[in-house]
Amino acid sequence: MNAGWFAKRLLSSLFVLAAVIALNFILFRMMPGDAVSTIIDPSFSPEAKENLRAIYGLDRPLAEQFMIYVKRMLTFSFGLSFISRKPVWEELLSRLPATLALTSASMALSAAFGIWLGIKAALCRGRLAEKIVLGASAVTASFPGFFVQLVLLMLFARALPIFPLRGTLSAPPPSGTMNLFFDYVRHMALPVISLSLIGFGGWALYVRNLMVRALGEDFALMARARGLPRGRVVWHAFRTILPPIITIFLMSVPGLVSGAVITESVFSLHGVGTFLLEAVSGHDYPAAGAAFYLLALITVFCNLAADVSYGFADPRVRIEGKKE
Amino acid sequence: MKALFLRKSAIALAAIALVGIFAPLFAPAPPQEIVGAPFARPIWWKSGKLPAAKSFDVKIDGIEFEWEDEPPAIFSLYGRVTADASSEVRVIWRTPRKEYLLERLSGSELYWINSDGRDMIFKQALGLPLVSRSVDHLFPSRGKYSLSVEGAKGAELRLLLPGERQGLLGTDQRGRDVFTLFLYGIRTSLIIGTAATLVASLLGVSLGLAAGYAGGLCDALIMRAVDVLLSIPTLPILMALAAVWGKGLWQLVLIFSMFSWMGTARSVRSLVLTLRESAWVESLRALGASRGYILRRHLLPETAPILLANVALGVPGAILSEAGLAFLGLSDPRLISWGRMLHEAHSFGAFTQGAWWLLLPPGLGIVAVCLIFLDMGKFLEEKIDPRLG
Repeated sequence: MNAGWFAKRLLSSLFVLAAVIALNFILFRMMPGDAVSTIIDPSFSPEAKENLRAIYGLDRPLAEQFMIYVKRMLTFSFGLSFISRKPVWEELLSRLPATLALTSASMALSAAFGIWLGIKAALCRGRLAEKIVLGASAVTASFPGFFVQLVLLMLFARALPIFPLRGTLSAPPPSGTMNLFFDYVRHMALPVISLSLIGFGGWALYVRNLMVRALGEDFALMARARGLPRGRVVWHAFRTILPPIITIFLMSVPGLVSGAVITESVFSLHGVGTFLLEAVSGHDYPAAGAAFYLLALITVFCNLAADVSYGFADPRVRIEGKKE
Repeated sequence: MKALFLRKSAIALAAIALVGIFAPLFAPAPPQEIVGAPFARPIWWKSGKLPAAKSFDVKIDGIEFEWEDEPPAIFSLYGRVTADASSEVRVIWRTPRKEYLLERLSGSELYWINSDGRDMIFKQALGLPLVSRSVDHLFPSRGKYSLSVEGAKGAELRLLLPGERQGLLGTDQRGRDVFTLFLYGIRTSLIIGTAATLVASLLGVSLGLAAGYAGGLCDALIMRAVDVLLSIPTLPILMALAAVWGKGLWQLVLIFSMFSWMGTARSVRSLVLTLRESAWVESLRALGASRGYILRRHLLPETAPILLANVALGVPGAILSEAGLAFLGLSDPRLISWGRMLHEAHSFGAFTQGAWWLLLPPGLGIVAVCLIFLDMGKFLEEKIDPRLG
């Protein structure tokens, strides 16, 4: 791995992170009134009001507030929630597993299925697989994800009660680790399946287009002429399109996180997305800011990881330190 | 251009837009008016003997009718009765099994009646069990029913029996007509979709032109902003902005356009980068044309085709964003939109009722409008770059 290239990617991620923190700071200070006006009762004495403003650090100059804010964001001390008056970070940590499980599982599932179907479509052009790919990609671009999920919920949780209608775990949760695990899987199955169903169409179309082009190139023809088995030819072609696939992996993360927020709300999962929604609709600014920061952090981290793996996959980057 | 207007999707879009504009003419009632029972099925639904909504005008001589179906969803009687102050007015409901004295009034010349079968006081006055549906007792079986007003001089009453079937697409949890809401939703979706995309395209074109032609620091700044905005999840920001700035129609348009100009800016910039080096732009510069003149008169028209396709392809994104925010409950509750309808279906019990008619119309509406714009965008793209076809 070329150190200079890696340092550049890291720097770019840090820049995005800095932009997110600045945006976050501005966003939640732009709203009408005061950050604490939602929790200050008009009947409070002036001293009490001042006291509260001091607790949330709102009596200092803006530049100093910003420095304190940056420090807090970097050390994950998000302060107290306006509503529950509990530390925001604890609440977020309890909700992180569901979000991570949902996004990573559906990403892996949609990528795997999309790549498989895309290769299949590139190999049998004009057949059923290609038609499915073309249809699915058109459908996913125009179907609101939550509508698909609502219909699935209606079908498989109401009409045919296979899956639970809502929640991350049954209430009360079953005893025993195994039972708990299966209960969790049963609750997460429909959200994960539906979220990956929304994503795989774009993947498949992209992989198909790349694969068709790669299979038409000279090296693929050469490989076939040498009499290599079909699997080997496909592997050769696939190896050359791996870097752009990683790029699209990278670019699909923000959309997936947005999708996860809505998915959690559809299925009432105990995740960061529902936390953000509750915080936003309850005007709980520290909590909303923290949840947004965490989601952005997940995205930035995924981007960086994708960049690094791009470096491993593309020999041009690995050896010479240049992208393209 | 003519081929675009003759395309099926363009004709369908024009038809939908017209229906959206003239929605009040097609709709049976204003959208906020409650016309039926909650969760009434569509009128064409045929299962068992679910009654359709009925209403009767009751004059002084009363009414009589046959009832063949199941009980209606709601029994309500309202209007006014005039009488002599000395006489006693009795409003009597006769069922095949039993007689109910609905009202006994005296001591005045004019009475206003407003009774609803769901009121506790109504049930108590008739001696009905308080935790049951009063309509099950008021409509015990099929047969002849009558309502009569005795001892009055004049009566202008209305007996309203909203049924379990109502309207083309049924009713929602508050008893509003879903078909009306659906028609009004067209307007919101189209306005937000097109307005947000237009503003975003304007932003994208101007920033893309600036970045591509000026280059240097300006280019670096704009492209960095594009990178950052493309690599953070937009929905959380949109949620926060909608909560902070307000949820009205035009605020939403502004918010969506702020976060969807990046794609246009990128493609305009790359086009301008190649045009800038071309011979004719260079000769314009050599002739002494000012920067503003070249940008306005020569480069801007060149970007028009890209822009047109970007607008058509961007509208579905804006419509889906609006639907997403409204679905999360972050839009103005008074603003009727398809996303809002789905939100209300999801959070007010459509699932426990199995009310698919609350789910499918708005969802399929969004899908249809998005597909139409995608088709037009694809068509325009192929016109610009025939290799794509």
